[in-house]
Amino acid sequence: MTKRADLLPGTLDMLILKAVSLRPLHGYGILLRIAQISNHAFDVPQGSLYPALYRLEHQRLITAEWGTSDNNRKAKYYQLTPVGRRRLKEETASWHQLAMAIGAALNTKPEEV
Amino acid sequence: MLGRLRSLAHVVFHRRRFEQQMADEMRFHVETHAEDLAASGISYDEALRRARLAFGGTESLKEESRAARGLRLVDELGQDLRFAVRQMMHGPGLTVAVVASLALGIGANTAIFSLLDSVVFRALPLRAPDQLYFLGHSDVARATTSSNYPLFERYKASGAFSDVTAYLRQNLTVATTDGIEHVTGQFVSGNYHAVLGVPMAKGRGFISEVDRDVGSSMIAVISDGYWNRRYGRAADVLGKQIVVDGQTVSIVGVTAPGFDGLTPGMKIDITLPLSIRALGNREFFNNREDWVSLCLVGRLRPRETMAQAMAIVGPLFEQFWSASGTAAARGRESVTRHIAVLTPAGRGSEELRRQFAKPLWVLMAMVGLVLVIACTNVVNLLLARGAARANEVAMRMSIGASRSRLVRQFLTESVLIAVTGGALGIIVAVVSAKFIVALLATGRNPLVVDVHLATLVLVFTLVVSLATGIGCGLVPALRATQLELTSTLKTGGGHGSTRRRAIAGRTLIVAQIALCTLIVATAGLLMRTVRNLRTVDAGFDGGNVLLFNLEIPPALSSEARMAFYDELERQLRGLPGVTTLSYSLRSPIDGSMNVRKLEIPGSTADARGGVSEIIATPEYVETFGIRLLRGRYLANDDRMTTEPVAVINDALARQYFGDLNPIGRTLLIGENKERRTVVGVVKSTRESLRDAATPMVYSALGQMAVSDGGVSWHVTVAMRTTNNPAALASMARGAVSSLRRDASVSYVRTMTQQLDAALIRERIMASVSAGFGVLALLLAAVGLYGLMSYRIARRGREIGLRIALGATPAAMLRRVLGESVVLSAIGIVVGLGAAVVATRSVSSFLFGLSARDPGTLSGAATVLLVIGVASGYLPSRRAAAVDPMRALSTE
Repeated sequence: MTKRADLLPGTLDMLILKAVSLRPLHGYGILLRIAQISNHAFDVPQGSLYPALYRLEHQRLITAEWGTSDNNRKAKYYQLTPVGRRRLKEETASWHQLAMAIGAALNTKPEEV
Repeated sequence: MLGRLRSLAHVVFHRRRFEQQMADEMRFHVETHAEDLAASGISYDEALRRARLAFGGTESLKEESRAARGLRLVDELGQDLRFAVRQMMHGPGLTVAVVASLALGIGANTAIFSLLDSVVFRALPLRAPDQLYFLGHSDVARATTSSNYPLFERYKASGAFSDVTAYLRQNLTVATTDGIEHVTGQFVSGNYHAVLGVPMAKGRGFISEVDRDVGSSMIAVISDGYWNRRYGRAADVLGKQIVVDGQTVSIVGVTAPGFDGLTPGMKIDITLPLSIRALGNREFFNNREDWVSLCLVGRLRPRETMAQAMAIVGPLFEQFWSASGTAAARGRESVTRHIAVLTPAGRGSEELRRQFAKPLWVLMAMVGLVLVIACTNVVNLLLARGAARANEVAMRMSIGASRSRLVRQFLTESVLIAVTGGALGIIVAVVSAKFIVALLATGRNPLVVDVHLATLVLVFTLVVSLATGIGCGLVPALRATQLELTSTLKTGGGHGSTRRRAIAGRTLIVAQIALCTLIVATAGLLMRTVRNLRTVDAGFDGGNVLLFNLEIPPALSSEARMAFYDELERQLRGLPGVTTLSYSLRSPIDGSMNVRKLEIPGSTADARGGVSEIIATPEYVETFGIRLLRGRYLANDDRMTTEPVAVINDALARQYFGDLNPIGRTLLIGENKERRTVVGVVKSTRESLRDAATPMVYSALGQMAVSDGGVSWHVTVAMRTTNNPAALASMARGAVSSLRRDASVSYVRTMTQQLDAALIRERIMASVSAGFGVLALLLAAVGLYGLMSYRIARRGREIGLRIALGATPAAMLRRVLGESVVLSAIGIVVGLGAAVVATRSVSSFLFGLSARDPGTLSGAATVLLVIGVASGYLPSRRAAAVDPMRALSTE
């Protein structure tokens, strides 16, 4: 297992949107999905997921519905709204831009200056 | 934003379910995690413990989640509200005073605004009212909506509008079992209801009644108001027969409430087809010679602009004007050319707005200032409360409360006070608006204004209340939370900022007194205007005169009419106290005009102003106390068969005859040059109280034929009495009905009431602004009294010390009283300065005095000074009575 990194501020929202964009998930499922798709790279404090979910719901980026889980219990499933889908696209694009810019900046060699 | 509010509202209203679901969701998370952990072999209890640890503090996470959902603000608002209510209960007397002053301030604002709404803003309840335009015409100076039927047909055919309709307003009589009823009515073109999109409550409007098909459509549409008044909202009103102006028609529809015709202030009771109007005068549809009071309204096509319609209407009217031999066009040299004018009709015609829009805006401005005065009291109260809470605030801040949180709490209190005041203010508004509406509904044609709490008015009240609450609360809140913590906690009170707070309080009082001076001065100017208008020498004496309008059937012959008048005169003279009696076609200051062309053979004076004519019986002059200057007055012997004579007024004599003797000269009056010989000169009387007298001629009723060739079948009866004229009213009615049941008496009034009706606008402005003046004085007195009491309470130690050191109570009284006098004086001077500038905006309403009238301004200053001394006196008595031993031993 690689060293776990702390999340950059704001990135948890992005990861949640990405996780629920694949299919509707309950809170615990989102956590597992983030771990899976990020190769367990991040240390997400479990409880802090919920304020983030409620905030995204309040912003109408995701909606929630009660359903039945794999272990046959009632669970709240979150899924992306059209607004959320658009937001995810924008965030992804701007993240790539930012990552490329920072990468380029960090790769600058003395002779290029 | 809206979405978030809705999501918040959902959570707030389903709070218990929200909490339950949040708990369920988190428990599911922990337990599922625990199950996963247990799968790797550890015991479930241990797994659950680890899962809980990994999850974190549930309660704090719940709190964060609530905040994320926007709930924390709501929760804190609830706390703040409870706290604010407790604060208000703390000093109930003070709270009541402040809430009451806001209720009066906001209520008065709402009242005036609701009048503005109904007179100026409100659109008529018609389909797409923005598309409707009046088709009028105008010369350089004055626009008119008069037209005639041929012009209407031209407009209709022009294609400038999707359609054009026409209406002609007229007072009508309805024959009922109790006698003759006077109603307001209109004759309309067959497409009226369809073109305007008039909402109907019952039955139908006119559909395609053909105007020129005279006598074919004997039908009527009545208004909701008339349905209520006459039929008590009976369900079977449709099909009922009704006799209007002698024609029997049947009711086919009732218009919905809220629509009473296109003239705001004038409610149309009965609407008849134009074809009925033409029954008595078939030439009506073909007469293009004269302008009649037929109003034309066009409806634009969707997306058509006014300019597009004007491009067609303009040339069309020009052609009509030049081609037609209208009376106006015949005298073309003297009459300026008219051009077509389109004016928006969606809010109805202009009359009421033209008369009352500006006065209402002036009153709105004044009442706005009254509210500012009330707000000042609130600010002072909150500043004092903030100071009293200095210790508590310092404590809260030192244990970590944020300033914004505290400011929010202070604001909650002031907004609560303001909203409570606003809610009570609505009651004040309803009562005071009723009072003004009742004032409007006096006179010959009572103005009926529908004032109700429309949505716009309620929104206005809410916005004003919130703005008041936040506006009044912000400065005290910021100030109360801006403390140097250590010094406050150490000294046990906000002494550090006492001085600044004192200055703020005194500045507010000065501002209050200044605004108050301005309002009282303006009210004074308007009140003196009414007095000046009432006492102006109008050339006649209106005391002890009773008047009423009399109509007899036009079918009577001229001789029968004269015989009736003579017999009635004999009977009325027999009533107790009647000294003189006259019949006339007009009476002084009754708002009517009858300007006729005048020509005087042998005179070179400019006669373009024309002459105003009064047709009357001989005793008219004595009844109204008009002095005869030379020659004789009209006599009973002046009949159809004798030489036509006239009496002129002094203004006419001086303008046309100068120093020459006018007796025996000839006047040619009207288009047909009716010849009259001048037999006497009387003192000039005014046509309107504001304007100097203009040339006037009196003609003998017995010599003047009306259009059908006989003596007039409608007259104004005037009686001078030795005692209260109003007491004669019922006896006069009785005398008329005992002679003829089909004679109708209407608009019975004393001359004083007639003058009041003429001064309606001035009286409303004077009485309403006087009310505002009293309110402003009351609020300022409360403010000054409160501030002085507060300051003396704060300075108890200092005063005690001074008295202990030898100051006499009398000196203390002088000192404290002196302060309120000085504050008042500064405020008065500032206020007078403001008045000199601001009262210019009311100068067009004034009469007999200038906007800077020194008497009024000094009167206002005196009133304010008296109020200042009076409200400073009680607190200063208290200061003088301070017991030094007690004052020094406290704290």
